[in-house]
Amino acid sequence: MLSAVNLRKVYITKEKQGIFRTWKKEVIAVESLDLEIKPGEIVGLLGINGAGKTTTIKMLSTLLLPTAGSIVIDGIDALKEPMKVKKMVNMIAGGERMLYWRLTARENLSYFGSLYGLNGKALTDRIAFLLKEVELEEAADIPVERYSKGMKQRLQIARGLINDPCYLFLDEPTLGLDAPIAKHLREYIRHLAVQEGKGILLTSHYLSEVEALCNRVYIIDRGALVLHDTPENIIRDVSAGAILSVWVSELQNTMLESLTKVLLPFEASLTVIKQSDGVELRVQSKQDVTALVLQHLFEHGVTLQRLEVEKPKLEDAILTLAGRAVAARETA
Amino acid sequence: MWRTFSSTFWRNYLTMRRAYPWSFFIGHILSGIYTVLFAYLTYIYVFAGQMDSRFAGFSGTGDYISYVVLGGTVYSLAVSMLMIVSRSLITELREGSLEALLLTPCSRKGYFLGTGLQGLMRVGIEFSVIILIGWIFGLNLRKMDGIASFVVLTLTICSFFTQALVLGSVMLYFRDTYISQNTLFVVMSLVSGVMFPVQYLPAWLHPVSWIMPLNYGLQAFRRSVIEGSGLWASRNDLAALIVLSLVYLVIGAWAIQATEKIVVEKIFD
Repeated sequence: MLSAVNLRKVYITKEKQGIFRTWKKEVIAVESLDLEIKPGEIVGLLGINGAGKTTTIKMLSTLLLPTAGSIVIDGIDALKEPMKVKKMVNMIAGGERMLYWRLTARENLSYFGSLYGLNGKALTDRIAFLLKEVELEEAADIPVERYSKGMKQRLQIARGLINDPCYLFLDEPTLGLDAPIAKHLREYIRHLAVQEGKGILLTSHYLSEVEALCNRVYIIDRGALVLHDTPENIIRDVSAGAILSVWVSELQNTMLESLTKVLLPFEASLTVIKQSDGVELRVQSKQDVTALVLQHLFEHGVTLQRLEVEKPKLEDAILTLAGRAVAARETA
Repeated sequence: MWRTFSSTFWRNYLTMRRAYPWSFFIGHILSGIYTVLFAYLTYIYVFAGQMDSRFAGFSGTGDYISYVVLGGTVYSLAVSMLMIVSRSLITELREGSLEALLLTPCSRKGYFLGTGLQGLMRVGIEFSVIILIGWIFGLNLRKMDGIASFVVLTLTICSFFTQALVLGSVMLYFRDTYISQNTLFVVMSLVSGVMFPVQYLPAWLHPVSWIMPLNYGLQAFRRSVIEGSGLWASRNDLAALIVLSLVYLVIGAWAIQATEKIVVEKIFD
């Protein structure tokens, strides 16, 4: 298991004042963050504002030293024995960096593999396996500079897996990828966790991706942990609930009043929107009130034209949290 | 370390073979040739083949053409070696591969040695071409002690390698290549006895030459090539070269490690 406790990172930046005067400023990127990743699970790391996601990933992958706190990976202290930990982890970032463009895919993997201590048949077999996994077998001997963005990203994934890491950190892995390639990549990430038992930390601006893939999600704001739970629980606890939209031809005021009374114990909000061909009733509630509303409408002889239920998404929850964070700062 | 060394050597070789800017190669040879040509024309047409009487006393030889050809050649070698090794990490940074490299548990010694030795392949060709052209212009190789020259040159190249580690950390810290390297190269060419003995310079500039490996390497190399002296004759210069190399190695190894950490914090966020 990967366990980070009380992780803190403070950057010292220099601010210029005039031409010659500079003064040092402390910027807290990560503050008292506790984080756990178990083998075989995908954990999301989401940020609200200037969140410190990348800093966290870089500390976990030994690129950055934390100002305070500890990182222990399968019993090994990452701060005391970074060389051991480097063999157990890897990182894949979005974009087209972290590769040698003048080398071919095979040469890139061969170079990185040897830096991880692989050689001979073990290295050749690993390269062949990974090239097949990321479907780059046919382009294996073409220099990377001639690759498309999607191909480079797939090669990055192969590079990130060359040392067969136990823990993989994915920083915006689908950034700028076409939809089919991104979908394929998401499936592969799931495969790595479920089939190969790798612990994966994922940051992404595509919240649907996080919602679809992650077992648990950490939400941080300005480096500090705001919330940690399963995506389902976060959505349930934070968002205002599912939206039930019912379209009817007409609606009596008395029926509306009685419906309001029925919904009162559920803390549901009811909105009536007049449309050209009838009325839309929009009910938002944390609890499922669909059956209740429909029963009430049927009992009052109302004829339904159409019905839609819009479930809340992780994105809605994040937006709510962002709104709360801004409000809290303004109050402060 | 050896796996990192061999794989970095091979990686750089492939990159050079596939995408090496040959203008660099020609540029380095031309700058060596220009140094030789400039000194030759000045010697023949400005000084009419007559050197200051102090020259032989300062340099230990009256053969100015050989003196300056070797000066230009070894200077060109120094510049190439320093550039190849010192620019390696900042090039990784600029090309976006530094993060991937730092993620691996690779040996930094192996990385720099692989880079340096592969670079030496190209530098060796440049060196041979300049020596050949210098020979056409009058470089005297008749008395040369081959073994002593080889040993001196090897030690000198090692010292350039260690000096490059320090230069590389400066480049990485300031994220600059142009000003750092060119400042060093200009100072090096002035105070290391490339075209004239250091003793011609004002006394207050002499201490700067004491920290330049090129100064000691060049004096010892000239002694073994022009005069045919053995290693014993250059023992003081060789001892200084070894001490200086060790000092640069210690400072360079520490500075590279420290700078890597600073750069990761400065650049990646």
